[in-house]
Amino acid sequence: MLAPALLVLGGLFLSALGLTFLRSLRYMPAIGLTEPDLAAYAAILSSPDFLAALGLSLWIALASTLISAALALGTALLLRRGFAGRGPLFFLIQVNLTVPHVVGAIGILYLFSQSGFFARLAHAGGLIDRPAEFPALTHDPFAIGIILLYVWKEVPFITLILLARLQAIGTDPEATARSLGATRWQAFAHVLLPMLMPALLAASALVFAFAFGAYEIPLLLGAHAPRALPVLAWQGFTDVDLAARAEAMAMAVIIALVGAAMLLACARLALPAAARDAR
Amino acid sequence: MTALRLSGLTKAWSRTAAPVLAGLELAVEPGRLTALVGPSGSGKTTVLKLVAGLLAPDAGDIRLGGRSLLGLPPERRRVVMVFQAPQLFPHLTVAQNVGFGLRMRGLPPARIAALTEAMLDRVQLAGFGARLPAGLSGGQAQRVALARALVLEPEVLLLDEPLSSLDASLRDEMRTLIRDLQRATGVTTLMVTHDQTEAVVLADRIALLLDGRVAQHATPEEIYRRPASLRVARFFGGVNFLPGHAADGVFHSAIGPLPIAPGQAGGPGLLTIRPEAILLGAGPLQASVLGCSFLGPQTRVTLDLAGTLLLAMVAPEAARGLVPGQVIAATLPPAALWVIPETAAPPPAPGP
Amino acid sequence: MRAEPLRLALAAALALWLAMPLIPLAIWSFAHGWRFPALLPGELTLDAWTYALSPASGVLESLGVTIFIGLAVTLLAALVGVPAGRALGLHQFRGRGLVLMLLLAPVILPGIAVALGLHGVFLRLGLTGTVTGVILAHLIPVLPYMTLVMAAVFAGFDTGAEEQARALGARPAQVLWHVTLPAILPGLMTGALFAFLVSWSQYLLTLSIGGGRVQTLPLVLFTFATSGRNDVTGAVAMIYILPGLLILALTTRRLTGRSPVLGPGIGPGTDR
Repeated sequence: MLAPALLVLGGLFLSALGLTFLRSLRYMPAIGLTEPDLAAYAAILSSPDFLAALGLSLWIALASTLISAALALGTALLLRRGFAGRGPLFFLIQVNLTVPHVVGAIGILYLFSQSGFFARLAHAGGLIDRPAEFPALTHDPFAIGIILLYVWKEVPFITLILLARLQAIGTDPEATARSLGATRWQAFAHVLLPMLMPALLAASALVFAFAFGAYEIPLLLGAHAPRALPVLAWQGFTDVDLAARAEAMAMAVIIALVGAAMLLACARLALPAAARDAR
Repeated sequence: MTALRLSGLTKAWSRTAAPVLAGLELAVEPGRLTALVGPSGSGKTTVLKLVAGLLAPDAGDIRLGGRSLLGLPPERRRVVMVFQAPQLFPHLTVAQNVGFGLRMRGLPPARIAALTEAMLDRVQLAGFGARLPAGLSGGQAQRVALARALVLEPEVLLLDEPLSSLDASLRDEMRTLIRDLQRATGVTTLMVTHDQTEAVVLADRIALLLDGRVAQHATPEEIYRRPASLRVARFFGGVNFLPGHAADGVFHSAIGPLPIAPGQAGGPGLLTIRPEAILLGAGPLQASVLGCSFLGPQTRVTLDLAGTLLLAMVAPEAARGLVPGQVIAATLPPAALWVIPETAAPPPAPGP
Repeated sequence: MRAEPLRLALAAALALWLAMPLIPLAIWSFAHGWRFPALLPGELTLDAWTYALSPASGVLESLGVTIFIGLAVTLLAALVGVPAGRALGLHQFRGRGLVLMLLLAPVILPGIAVALGLHGVFLRLGLTGTVTGVILAHLIPVLPYMTLVMAAVFAGFDTGAEEQARALGARPAQVLWHVTLPAILPGLMTGALFAFLVSWSQYLLTLSIGGGRVQTLPLVLFTFATSGRNDVTGAVAMIYILPGLLILALTTRRLTGRSPVLGPGIGPGTDR
C-alpha cells in the first residue's frame, strides 16, 4: 500500500536529485562527458560571486531564523492564555498561513521600497524630500526586505508549532516549579523553555532550510549584487554555457546539502520528543 | 511545625457562578496528616492551590504560623504542592529534579548533592540519581516527586490525590511510604483524596468539604462513628438512620425507647448506627429478616425493626441459616448509637 | 490583571503587522496613478481589475490552468497518499523512520535542487513544457503532505469498525465505501486542501518544468510585479490569495473559530 507512493516519490524525487548530483559532477553522457569530476565544485568554491552568494544566503537564513524564532516564542507566550483580542488574532494568523510568499513579498516591496508607503509617510512627516533619501530596505545589500518577508511569514508558522507544544505541556510543570521555590522567570527559564526547545529548534531548522534555499523571494526583493545563492544557481542553469550549467548544479547540490543537514537536525530533535509525548 | 489556618476562604470561578468555596474555615493540625475529602468538584484541589499560592482567594485569609500568606507568590511561601501526576521535569535527571528547589534557592552544588542523595535514600531510590524521568515507573516517579518536595523541608506539604494515578498493588506501598515519611519528618501535610478508605487509613484528621465549607473536621474514628450531619454520615457510607427524639439518655422513635450514651444532643434528631455495630442473635429487640447477602468476609442482613429498615453487617457464622421472614433477636448497643441533630430533611431509606 | 493592557497592546501591534503587507496590494488594485509622495491614491478606478479579468491579460486563463493543475495534483495525491498514509499510520514496521525521512525530504529540502535535476529527467521523458509534466512535478512536494496528514488520520482510526463490517458480511469494496471513507473524510478534506494550496503556491518547479509555456498564476503575478504595473499586480495578487481565503472560510469550524489550516504544521515553504 505504501509502494505506489514510494515509487512516485522515489522515482521523481530521487531521480531528480540524482540527476542534479550527476550533472554537478559534469557527467553528461549525452554530450560526451563521461568522466565525472569535481571541476564544477572547484570552480565555484574559488569564485567570488559564489562565495558572496553563499555568504548572503547564509546571512539571510540565519537572521530570518533567529528573529523569527525569538518573535515566535514571544508571540506564543502572548497567545497562550485567552484574552479579548485573541480570536481575531488567530484569524489573522490563519490568513497569513494561506497567503503565498510571493504575495507577501510584493506587499513588503510596496511598503518598504524607497517609493513605498513608509517612504511616503517619511515625506509627509517632512523627513525626506525624494525617494532616494529614504534608506534602502529593499533591493539592498543587507537583504532587509527579504528578511522582513521571511519574518512575516515564518513567525506565525513557528508560533503555531509552539502553541501546540504549549498546550501539550500545560501549566502544571511551571506551577510545580513555582511551588518548589522558582520565581516566575526561573520557572520559564529552567522548566518551560527547556521543554519547548526541541520543538523550537526543529521548527527553526525548517525555517532555516527554507530561507536558505528559496528562489522567488530574493529574486523579487533582492539586490542586483550580490545575488542570493538560489538566484545565482538558476541564472547558471539557464546559461547557454555548459560549464555554467554544471556549476549551477553544483550550487544546487550545496543548497540541498544544507537542507539535508537541517532535515537531520529536525529528525533528531522532533522524533524522540514526539515518541516521548506519545506515552 | 507551624499551624496552618484557613479562614473565611471564598473562591468563585466567575462573577455569576456559585462560589466553589464559601467562607471555608479550617485549622490544620501542625505536624499531622490531614486528609481533605469531598465529592468531585467540591473544591478540594482549589483549596490546595490557594494555600500553595497558585490561585488567589476572592475573600478570606490563609495564615501560616500566624503570618498571612496572601499576596506572597508561591515561591516565597515555604509551602510545596505535589500534583496528582508526578510532573517530573523531563529534561532533568532524577537527582536534578530532586535538587531543583534547592538550586532555585541558590544553595552550593556540594550541599545540594548531599541533601539530594540523602533524600533519595529515604524514598528508597538510592542510585537512581542519574536516571531520566522517562525511564521510571509510576511508583518511582511518585517517589521522586515526594523526595523533591520534602528535601526543601517545607512548613506545609500539599498532596493532590497522590495515589490515584497508581494501580492498586502500588498504592499500599505508597501509602506506607507517605505515612512513614510524614511521621519521620513531622511536616504538616494536607492531602486531598476522593477515596475514603485511603483517608481513613492514612490520615490523623479528616476534613470533609461540602458546599464550599468544612462539614466536619475530626479523627477518622470520630467522623465514622459520630458524623456531624446526615450528609457527612452518608458520605462515609452510613446507611442506618432513624428519626426520633432524644431526651435524658433515651432516644424515642418508632422502634420504641432506646438507651443511648450520655453526652449527646437532646431534642429531635436522626439516630444512626454503623451496620457492623448491630448485634444479632440476642437482645431486647425483635427484627424480622428481609434478606441476606453473603459478601465473603461478612454477610449483609436487611432487617425490619418495627417498620424501620436497617442494614446489618455480621460475621457469616452469625447469619448462617437465616431466611427471609424469620424473626431474630437484635441489640443496638448504646455505645454505638449516635444522634445527629435534626435538620429539616426527611428520613432516607437505607441502602448503599 | 496588570499585564492585560500590555497584552492587548502587543496583540494589536501583532494584528497590524500581520495585515500590513496586504493592504497596499488591495489599495493599489483600485488606484489610478498613485505616485510618490501621495499617501493615498488620488483617484480610484476599476481599470486594473477590468484589465486583469480581461482575456488580454492572460490572468483568467492562467487561473484556469492553475486550478486545473491543483485539482489534478490533489486527486493523484489522494489516490496514492491515502493507502500510503494508511500503511504508515496503522502499522509499525522496520524502516518506518526511513520512510518518514523520505517523505519529509521533499518538504524540507529547498526545491531548487529538485527543480534543476527534474528538468533533465523530464526532458528525456518529453514532459517539459507540458501541463502533465507540471502536474507530476507538483506531486513531489504535495504527496508528502497528503501522506503525512493521512497517516495522522489513520493513526487515530479504529480498524475495529471495518472488521465489524466484514463480520456482518460486507465485501471489501463496501467496507471501503460505507465504513472507511466516511470516517476518514474530514481528514482527507484537510489533506486535500493542503495539497491544493501547496500546488497553488509553486513557483520554481512550474517555471523549471513548464519552461515558460505553462503559465500558472504565480508566474503571471511575478511577471506583472516586475513590470511596474503596480495596479494590475495588486489586482492579480488579490485574485491569487482568494482560493486560500476561500478554503479558510470553508474549513473554519464555527465553534472554535479555528481551521484545520492550523493543523499539522510542517514545511514553512508552503503557503498554508
